[in-house]
Amino acid sequence: MLSRVAASFYWLSRYIERSDGILRMLKTNYASSQDSVAGFTWEPVIRIFSGSDEDLIGQLGDDSRAVLKYMVIDKQNANSIVNLITLARENARSVQEHIPKDLWQCLNEYYHTAKEPRIVAGLKKDDPIGVLDVLIKQVMLYYGTAEITMERGQARSFMNIGKYLERAIQSIDILDVKFGPINNNPDLLLDITYWKHLLLSIGGYELYQKTYRDGLEAHNVIEQVILNNDFPRSVIYSVNNIQRYFDRLKNNSNVNDYREISFHIGKLQSNIKYSSVKSISQMGLHEYLTSLREDLYRIGNSLNEYYFANS
Amino acid sequence: MYKSQHFEKYNLINGVWDEMYNEKSIVRDHYRKVIEYLAKESPDDLNKKEELAKRLFMTQGITFTVYNSGEGIEKIFPFDIIPRVITAAEWDFVEKGIKQRLTALNLFLKDIYHNQFIVKDGIVPIDIVYSCPHFLREMYQLNVPYDVYVHIAGIDLIRDHDGTFYVLEDNLRTPSGVSYMLENREITKRLFPDLLPNCGVRSVTEYPSILYKNLLSLSPRQISNPTIVLLSPGIYNSAYFEHTTLARLMGVELVEGRDLVVNNHKVYMKTTTGLQQVDVIYRRVDDDFLDPLVFNPNSVLGVAGLMGAYRKGNVAIVNAIGNGVADDKATYIYVPDMIRYYLNEEPLLKNVPTHRLSNDDEREFVFKNINSMVVKKTNESGGYGMLMGHASTEEEIEQYKKEILKDPRNFIAQPTISLSAAPCYIGGVLQPRRIDLRPYALCGPDGIEIVPGGLTRVALTEGSLVVNSSQGGGSKDTWVLC
Repeated sequence: MLSRVAASFYWLSRYIERSDGILRMLKTNYASSQDSVAGFTWEPVIRIFSGSDEDLIGQLGDDSRAVLKYMVIDKQNANSIVNLITLARENARSVQEHIPKDLWQCLNEYYHTAKEPRIVAGLKKDDPIGVLDVLIKQVMLYYGTAEITMERGQARSFMNIGKYLERAIQSIDILDVKFGPINNNPDLLLDITYWKHLLLSIGGYELYQKTYRDGLEAHNVIEQVILNNDFPRSVIYSVNNIQRYFDRLKNNSNVNDYREISFHIGKLQSNIKYSSVKSISQMGLHEYLTSLREDLYRIGNSLNEYYFANS
Repeated sequence: MYKSQHFEKYNLINGVWDEMYNEKSIVRDHYRKVIEYLAKESPDDLNKKEELAKRLFMTQGITFTVYNSGEGIEKIFPFDIIPRVITAAEWDFVEKGIKQRLTALNLFLKDIYHNQFIVKDGIVPIDIVYSCPHFLREMYQLNVPYDVYVHIAGIDLIRDHDGTFYVLEDNLRTPSGVSYMLENREITKRLFPDLLPNCGVRSVTEYPSILYKNLLSLSPRQISNPTIVLLSPGIYNSAYFEHTTLARLMGVELVEGRDLVVNNHKVYMKTTTGLQQVDVIYRRVDDDFLDPLVFNPNSVLGVAGLMGAYRKGNVAIVNAIGNGVADDKATYIYVPDMIRYYLNEEPLLKNVPTHRLSNDDEREFVFKNINSMVVKKTNESGGYGMLMGHASTEEEIEQYKKEILKDPRNFIAQPTISLSAAPCYIGGVLQPRRIDLRPYALCGPDGIEIVPGGLTRVALTEGSLVVNSSQGGGSKDTWVLC
């Protein structure tokens, strides 16, 4: 497979996964903004997905409509849904002859849907949840189509590596940002709705309730989001999948490059596998998450160098 | 005239060959079945079909992007739902004519880049050849596989008021539009169920496999699975959709210049498992951008060292480099002479009478009669830089004349040919619009093959004679009957 094509698959998948994360995040957060949750603020969402531009955070404040508009349709925001899907589609377009027609049509439809006037109207005055649901459905359609139609080969491996890398980074960022304010405000540790919303926004609330019978506890949340192998958004689940799909790229003609990256992935995998909530707290959650994030970035950079010929 | 609501406003254009009606306003036989089918549909049905066609083009991403103020706008190449029908006899003639013409043009290219007999024998003047910017010294004395220079030709045909076919242009460099021939047919199958088999329309789907077979045969390495690639300028090119379609249909890799690298006069592509040698390049990048070491040094669309690899014979390039000397509009004048010279045959397809403006007498004649002339630049395509005498203001003409006088070699003039008209569904009724025809001819070691069909381009604006997509033209599905 052409290096450029592999890179396009990888990025296509990362952008779609990111848009999925953002949409779900927006949906729960909008719901909580209507719920008069104590201390609700949009700040973490903006921080996770659009960096820490203080001016911007101040400017948007807690005006839900303004935040939604910024996160979904603002062209100035590099990570707005419209920009992400445009990028995903450009990547797909450059590998059009490698993806099934169904999948291309799916992406194309997602793109055209995101640009429809009713989306803007819905965000401005009607029901934003309806709008977000329309878009979330497009992403689900994409994932379903990819699952059914993609040939089980290199292309799918690069897509899945991109997807899980993006997902792992997202989960790490969410935890990091959500646990950030606790140092200044230890009361949050006991605030049940705070944790409930965190779990809801990454779709882990139901699993949490099944797993833990003793109510919402911060350390359980950490355990589930980092270490629970059955939670599809956990860091360990994502890293295991990166390993799984990377394994399939092994080939006689690139043994050395393969080994180099395989080493990084394996190291990260065991690092997480042999961590516990206790060891994480000892190291400090923020420090721990930072080291995970750096490892993931390194894997991304090595892919870039060895497989995408961008060195 | 046919009695049905769609046809009430169909007014034949005076002095123009109508594809559907004969001069007595009776429907021609080959259009009958289509017309009967249409007459049964209500305007509402037809509007729905038009909507469906638009939607199909949009969701399949058969669009080109116009970049305006930083924002890409998706546009559909306008498609008219009413097919253009060609009889078996007409097609037979067109096919023979194109084969003859293309054979001569290939011989001309071989000759002009080798011994130049045709110049020495005084058939084609030497200044025409050497003053053409597309004549490339880099090709001199270079042997190409099977002496085929033009592997893919898109020769534009038009029909005069009596239905005679004329060649308007020979497109021998990187002719485009063939994906629309294929997609238009796919869409028509959806729009008019059962109509195609009922009418006995010949299939065009073989095109990609013929092209693929020809590309395979060109591989310089005698191996069982040579690497064939389609070289595209990238996703921002307006024909990108076509590049992906062809790559997919042939199952070849679509590459950009940055995917390729030349080492030791061999071309390689960068893959996730290392470098892989490339044998055949079907390029959709113009000559000038192919190799920054030899041609335009600022180009990033091509590959440094490609020309060297080509000259060494380590890679085949389709179409050959330097073909522009044969489809230059000044060379065009001599194509009938070429046919007589190389083949000892009378040309079947006629040329439009053409005046060289570098010739003083002819220029004077053209300037006098400019209102009935079309003046074109010799090496522009896509309908750019044209002057339609009958539709221009005094001022525009004066301006254009000045430009001509600066460099007369760059201009030719032709009498305004009226172009035949075919019914189009516009604004809820059928109306006649002017059309041309571009069949796609494929030339390989086994000879020339033309799939029965082509691209019919149509000038959608009432009264317009310009069919180019860049000038508001659209297209139609083209049916050749058995």
